[in-house]
Order: sequence, then structure tokens, then C-alpha cells
Amino acid sequence: MRLNLRRFDFALLGTTLALVVFGVAMVYSATLGVPNYEDYPLRQVIYALIGLALLLLAAAFDYRLLTTFQWPVYVVILLALGAVTVLGQVRGGASGWFDAGIIFIQPAEISKVLFAIVFAQYLASRHERLGKPQWVLLAFILMALPAILIYMQPDLGNAIVLLVIGAVMLFVADIPWGYIVGAAAAGILALPVIYANLQDYMKQRIDIFLDPASDPDASFNIAQALISIGNGGVLGKGFAEGSQSQLHFLRVRYADFIFSVIAEELGFVGAVVLIILLVIVLWRLITIADQARDEFGRLLVTGVIAMIMFQAVVSIGMNLGLLPVTGITLPFISYGGSSLLTLMIGVGLAQSVAMRNRKIEFD
Amino acid sequence: VLARPLPPSGRLAILRVFIVIAGVIFVAQLVRIQFVQGQGLRARADENRFRLVEVRGQRGVVYDRDGQLLVRNRPSFDVVAIPSNLPSDSEEARAILERLEGIISQAEANLPVHEQEDEAAEEETSPGIGQQGLPQFRERLSVDETMEQVRAAMQGGAYRPVVIAGRVSPETAFAVAEESHHLPGIELSVAPVREYLTGPLTSQLIGFMGPIPAAFVESYRAEGYRPNDQVGLAGLELTFEKALRGRDGRRNIEVDVNGREVRTVGDIFPSAPGNNLVLTVDAQLQALMEQALLRGLENAKAQVGVAIAMDPKTGEILGLVSLPTYDNNLFARGITAQEYQALLDDKRLPLLNHAISALYPPGSVFKIVAASGALQEGVIDENIRLGDSFDGRVDGIIYVDNRFFPDNPRYAQPFYCWIHTYGTGHYRVNVREAMAVSCDTFFYQISGGYRKTFEGLGIDKLVDYTKIFGFGEPTGIDLPGENPGLVPTPRWKRLTYAETWAAGDTYNMSIGQGALLATPMQMLNATAAIANGGILYRPQLVRQIVDTEGNVLEEFTPERIRDLPLDPDVVDIVREGLWGAVNYPNGTARALTVPGVTVAGKTGTAEFYDPDIPLTASGRLPYHAWFTAFAPYEDPEIAVVVFVYNGGEGSAVALPVAQEILRGYFAQKYPPQPLEIGPGEAITSTEMLPGIEALLTDTVPITATGASDGGGD
Repeated sequence: MRLNLRRFDFALLGTTLALVVFGVAMVYSATLGVPNYEDYPLRQVIYALIGLALLLLAAAFDYRLLTTFQWPVYVVILLALGAVTVLGQVRGGASGWFDAGIIFIQPAEISKVLFAIVFAQYLASRHERLGKPQWVLLAFILMALPAILIYMQPDLGNAIVLLVIGAVMLFVADIPWGYIVGAAAAGILALPVIYANLQDYMKQRIDIFLDPASDPDASFNIAQALISIGNGGVLGKGFAEGSQSQLHFLRVRYADFIFSVIAEELGFVGAVVLIILLVIVLWRLITIADQARDEFGRLLVTGVIAMIMFQAVVSIGMNLGLLPVTGITLPFISYGGSSLLTLMIGVGLAQSVAMRNRKIEFD
Repeated sequence: VLARPLPPSGRLAILRVFIVIAGVIFVAQLVRIQFVQGQGLRARADENRFRLVEVRGQRGVVYDRDGQLLVRNRPSFDVVAIPSNLPSDSEEARAILERLEGIISQAEANLPVHEQEDEAAEEETSPGIGQQGLPQFRERLSVDETMEQVRAAMQGGAYRPVVIAGRVSPETAFAVAEESHHLPGIELSVAPVREYLTGPLTSQLIGFMGPIPAAFVESYRAEGYRPNDQVGLAGLELTFEKALRGRDGRRNIEVDVNGREVRTVGDIFPSAPGNNLVLTVDAQLQALMEQALLRGLENAKAQVGVAIAMDPKTGEILGLVSLPTYDNNLFARGITAQEYQALLDDKRLPLLNHAISALYPPGSVFKIVAASGALQEGVIDENIRLGDSFDGRVDGIIYVDNRFFPDNPRYAQPFYCWIHTYGTGHYRVNVREAMAVSCDTFFYQISGGYRKTFEGLGIDKLVDYTKIFGFGEPTGIDLPGENPGLVPTPRWKRLTYAETWAAGDTYNMSIGQGALLATPMQMLNATAAIANGGILYRPQLVRQIVDTEGNVLEEFTPERIRDLPLDPDVVDIVREGLWGAVNYPNGTARALTVPGVTVAGKTGTAEFYDPDIPLTASGRLPYHAWFTAFAPYEDPEIAVVVFVYNGGEGSAVALPVAQEILRGYFAQKYPPQPLEIGPGEAITSTEMLPGIEALLTDTVPITATGASDGGGD
């Protein structure tokens, strides 16, 4: 198959790379002067370069070939997540990581984009029959299995991201509104049951969001995030000069609270630029999905959109005190190799879809 | 195969709308936080990072009168845990704390342990400890306690250090520092604490410091103290708190989240050290006095004793020893609850300064008061002779008639002179001789009269003169916890015991017995007033307050409490009586000799009642031993009091101690001149005599200068 570079979305690549560079710079600022973190910026650069290579590779690859590997990929996802969960429980504590030499891979991250491939093919192949309850039920089971394994790691954040990816894909796959309304109603009714079964630290986070005074230590973090953002003003304190971040009042500033670092050091302008960049990326991705040649391509890109959109909304919302603390990172910006690789592979797949869209070509 | 073209998705359009709404909400929230609430949040960011740091001013140090350093400050190390820096995994944190505990206990095991003496002695005085609150206890947390506190601190979001081991030795601090790379989250914090170089030797004078007592929190705060400050709790540390206290400086610093200083911001207001004290006390003499008193206690098998030396012409205290004592360094390094309880439980009351806070019957030393009063009031003149031979027997007994049957001698109450136990009396003696031989019957009569044949001073006048000499009121020495003592009066007896004052009560009081109670300090002060010709001075411990550059800020001058309303003749006669006690062949203190110096003095053997102390072999009450003296007689420069609780005879027990002190004092002050051996060849005294000890044991024959006008034999 011939590469069609004219269809390659350079605007999407440009904004994506702008976000990644922005992220590396902020990780550098957020880890400045902390010996334990001093190699984070360099690692992030290495991951970004690997990610760029994977992005281009995925773009060159015809996404339609992926349909062949639907079920083997799904089995690999479950095995990887299961292995990590079991190993994690054996080791106790730090779980969710595969040590692949110098690079650590988080199956929970990579499984999100792999799940999008599997689920897109599942929905595309049943597009006309999606109204049938048995297919909807099977769709829920397909979503639930990896989500449960991720939740058991325990990683509530990525479990929710995976469920949201599935839900948005179902939504775009034109699942009848009746199911959507029904699922929403059932979800609201099930909330108390879900809450009762949450792990303690997760419950605590929700409690703190609802009543910040209930845990002074955790509400400390939220309060410090708001102080940091407020401290920024219009133009910010200057790169690497935010007192809240440089004096470490802000915690997990290279990941969960990196938006606050941006708002403090680069101010309102920097934060709005970031939001606009994210909106542009999502806008371009939706355009690609809209113009996709086939249902599989459209839903695959939708999965990527859902992942970026949901993570961005939850992370920024948390920093701004609008949503509870979940440990979900800001896409492209937060430190984290697996997350960055996953996101860039997702963008690469979208490019693959873009280069093979339904527009008729005259050349 | 060309797939069927896919129509645009309405659902994707809904996603676009969602993204735009989310973006708008976020920007709106940013506006709210950064502009609407911006000012308040920026202020909170500044609160986070700026700290006003108080820079502690060093507390003043203390010198003795010759400039020898007695008290200084030394850095002390607290081993603390910074909760946020400890591993969050509680097993790892516990492992670190256990490792630390091992290091500390190993380092402390190598240190000398403070020996606990468990001998207890009887003590009747009420505690009047010049101490207002609880001391600084030694802080030692177990691993479990630390874990608990760390957990509590983490909950509070605080980064304040948790003190695991307060005021550890430099050795322990070094051991912890060496292992610091294995102890993340453990730090050493440095603060100055007192170092009492002379420790127990001067602890009764200098006292110690501790946390602000609960009862005084408000008043200290009004003076600008902070809640965690240490203040003087006893001794000069308390009395001169204001002078010694350093003035704290302050500066603004920027700190990180752990409170660690990043840099200084803006102006610095420097701290200023406190002022230094120069004491009137001579540390060398103090040590000599302690040694002498310890020997005296050992010889008498007694456990509590006091020795004070004073310059009688100024009121300056040259040395003050109260035994048993305690080590105030225990308080400086943080005392353990057991150590503190042991000090409190010790029946000898080592925390009590017996020289000023404990009350004892003065015994015969008090006779200087009765003699002065009787002479001044014209009850007697210097020649009148009184004795015990009215009934024709010289047996040391006189009788007081029964109030209701004055004519029936069977009901008369006998009063004994101390010499009665030797089967004789003192015959008839004049006032000088009576003082010299300490004739009780003489003083009974000049104070209380004898039947209808001799009119005495009377109780009211006796009380007046007692008070004039400073009894019944604090001397005003610069130490907390002084006891005013008790001067009994007819009114006091009526109110306390609902009994009328009897002639016998006056008899008892005239020889310093009965209900009369005084501190050794008061006894010395009364003696000094006679020695210096009739001026009662306030005893002082501090000569100068000097700043760090050595400039004298305050010079203490002698302070008169009062000039005794005594004619110079009267004082002279009493002085001569005290001379006689030492220098008459039959004086009670004739055993006392100081080479080349004429000494005057007065012995005292005071009966006391204590239910815990058995009677003597001869069925009599136990005695305290007293001795007061001053020298040189011609121009006194030192007055001494020695008191030994339950010691026995003043002349046998207290006198040798005073003698050792006086000999040491004069040997030190006027070292023997080099002797001319041959032309151009001189041998210094130090070459001849290896040390003061040699001088002390060297007895020189008595050289009486006054003419002996005959003791009452």
C-alpha cells in the first residue's frame, strides 16, 4: 500500500509534539533540585523520541490489518493485566509495572489503546445489530474484564479510563439512546453499591472531595494546588520560579498536579494555551474520526479521543478543584513513559486512519 | 473493494460540543482562581514560604569573683524524625527507628551512669524549694511512641520534627550522624543548653533552667517569652533571669515544605547575648568549704550540713555550701522521671538549699542577741556577775518558781546549764566570760530575770532585739525560696497553742532554744553584724553584671538592712565575748587555731526534737552542731557559719569545719612569705609546702593577744 502523505495530518502532529515538548519542559521544572527525580526529564525525552517513532510507524501501518488480530490481542491484554495483578499482590505495594530492562512498561496504560482496537472491531462488525441486547451485554463483558483486572492492581483511575473509552465508543457506534438512558439510570442507582465496594483509599479520595476537611493531609494537596494556581496570576511566576512548586508545597507535581505547576509558573496565559492545544488535538481527532473510511477506523479513533479527552478533563478538573483526586495524569504533559507511548501510538493510529480516509483522490 | 462511504456522525458532533463546554468551564474556573481569588491565594503562597525566624540570643554566663567560668552554654543535640521524610511504608519506617534506637542505646551505654545513692536521712524541715515548676524531663521515645507521633503528625499535614531523643550527648549525636545515610527522615537539631562546669559544687547557688512553669506562662509571655522557651527555675538562674536572658533577634527566611531554610529575605535584626554575672563567690574557697564540710559530716556521721562564708564588712557571700546537693547538669541535659523522683523522695532534701530555706533552733550562738540587748538596755553592765550559786550549790541549775505555788520549791522548775552534766556550774561570770564559756544560767537571768532578786530584759525587749538582728525576716539574699524563720512572742504562743507565755519560755529563748527557729544564713548575718561593729548587711551573691565585652553594667554595692541600735561599747563587749570563746583557756571554742590570725567565734549545740531520731545514750534530745566565727578579730574580712544537722556538740563537730575553712581561706589569701635561706637564694612557700593541705594540718600554737581577765572557774 502506498503512503499518502498529503492526507497525513501535520496540524495534529504539530500540536501533539508541542504538547510533548511543553510536558518535558514542565517535568524538568517540577523535578528541579530533587535528587530522586533528576533523571525524569531525560527519561521523558527518551520516551518522547521512542513515542514519535512508534507514532510514525503506526501511521505507516494500515490500521485495517489490525482487525485480523482482534481476539489474540484481547487475550494478550487479559494475560498481561492478570500477570501484573498476581505479581503485584505477591510483591506487595508497587504493582502495575513490568520491568523490561531499562524501560518500565505499565500494561494498564498500553491496554487502553489495545482495548480500543479490539472493541472498535467488535462494534464495527456488529454495527447494524447493536440494538440487540446480547451484543450489548457481550460488549459490557468485554469492557468489564480488563477494567476489573486494572481495578484489582489497584488502579481505579485507569480502570475508569478504560470503561469510559468503551462507553464513548459505544456512544459513537450509535447504540440506541434507550440503552444510554438506561445505563445512566442504572449507574445512578448503583452508585451506593459501587461506593460500598471501593477500596479504602479510593473512598477516602471521594470523601475528601466532598468534604475537604475530613483529611487534613490530603486536603493539604488540593489546597496547595489551588494556592499554586492562584499564585500564578496572568503571566505566572516564570518558568522554574513558582514558589509553590520549587519549594515543594505542591506534591506529585511532575504528574497529578502538573497543571498547577503550569498555572503557577506560566500563569493564566500558559494554562489557556495548554487547554487550547488539547482542544485542537481533540478537534483534529474528531475530524479524522468523522472522515474515516470505515466504521472500524472511526471507532478506533474515537477510542483515542475518549482516552485523551477524559484524562484531560479529569486531571485539569481535579487541579481546579472541580473533580476528586483520582491519580489520572494529564495526557502528553505528565511524567510517565507508558502513558506517553500509549498516547503517541494512539495518535499514530489516528494518522493511519486519516491517511486512508474516504475522500476521493484525484492524482 | 471500495467500502460504502460513511456518513458524518451526529454523535461525534456531540463530543465536539462537550469538549468546547469543558474548555469554557476550565477557563472560567481559571479566571475565578487566578483573578477573583488571586490576591488571597497569593498571600497564602507567601505565608507558605516566608517565616519569621527568631534567632536565639545566647544566655549570659557566670564567673566567680576571680573570673573563673562556672556556667557556660554548649550546643546540645536533639535527635528528631521529620515525619514527611520518613519512608511512607510503615514497616520501613519502623526498621529505621529500630536501627536508630540501637545506635542511641549503644552510644549511651558507653557513658558513665549517674550513681544513685540510696541512703536516706531524717529531715524535719518543710520543703521550701526555690523552684516553681517541673523540670525539663529527658525526652526519650520508644519506637512505638515515635511511630504513633509520626502518624499523628502526618495526619496533620505537619512537617514539624518529632523529638525522639532530646539533648543527647555529643558522642551519641556523632554516632547518629555517622549512620545518617541509613536513616532517612532522621535529623539532628542543635540548641544551646547550660553547662554547669562546677556542677554539684555550686548547684545550690546557680540553680537550673527548665520549661516555663504553667502558673507563670502569662507573665513570661508578657515579657516576650515564647511557649517553648527555657527559664531559670531555681537559684541565680531564676533570680537573675532578666539579666542573663539573651535578646532574640529575627530575620525573614524562605522555607520549603519541610520548613528547611532556603534563603534569607530582607533585613536581619541581630540577636544579642545576655549579660554575664560575676559572683561574689570564690569557687576555690567554695570547693574547700565543701571538702571541709564533707569531712565534718563524715566525722559526725551526719548527712545534712551547711557552711557559709561572708565578707562581714560588705555582705558579700564568699562561699555557700548546703549538703547534700545535686547535680544541676542533670536538669540541663533533661532529667529522667526516676532521677527526679529520687531527688524528691530523698529525705535529706538535696534540692533544698538548707542555708536559706531550712529552719533550725539557733542554740547558744543566739546568746550574742541576748547579751547585746541586756547591755544596751542597761539590764547588766560589763562587770556584773551572775551565776547559779543562789541556792548555795554550784551545780549548773537554777529554778523558776511555779506560778501558782511561788513559795513551794518542790514545784519550782529547774533550768540547766549545759555544764550541769559535768556536775558543776560556771560559778559567777560577767558577760564576756559568759559568752566565752557559754554559761546558760547567765543568759537565763539577763533575759528572764531571777525570782525577785534580778530583773531581766523581758520577753518583749528580747523579741525586739531578736528582730533587730534580722531574725524572723528574710535576709534578702539573691536566691529564691528563702525562709523568714520564726521568732516566738507571747501573742504567737497564745494564738498557736492557746497558752500563756511563761518565764521558762523566755529562759529557753535566751539560749536559742524553744520555738525560735532561724536559717543558717540569718545566724551568719547576725554574727557578721557584731563582727563589723553593728551593721546588718543584705547578703549578696553577685558583684557585677557585665556585658560580653566586659563592660560593667551594674556594680553591686553593700546594702545595709539596718544599723543595729547598739552603742559601740556594747558591740565591743559582745565582740570581746566572742574573742574569749576562742582565746580564753576555758573558752568553748578554744580548740580553734588559725596560724597568724586571731579568730572570734561562738559555738552552739542546739537540742531538737524529731520523732524519727532516737534520744542520745544518756536519754537526752539529739543536738545540731553550730559554730559561727569571724577573723581577723581586729579587722574582720571573713565571717563563717557551720551547721551540722544532728551533728552533736558544736565545738566538736562544727568548729573543726570552720577551722579548716578559715585556715584554707587565710593560706590562700596570704600565702606564707618566701623565707630567706641564704644570700640571693629564696625558697617559695610552694616549694616548701606541697599544697594547702600541708598548711591545713599544720597546727600553730595559740597566740592570744587580749589579756585574760579570768574565766568563770
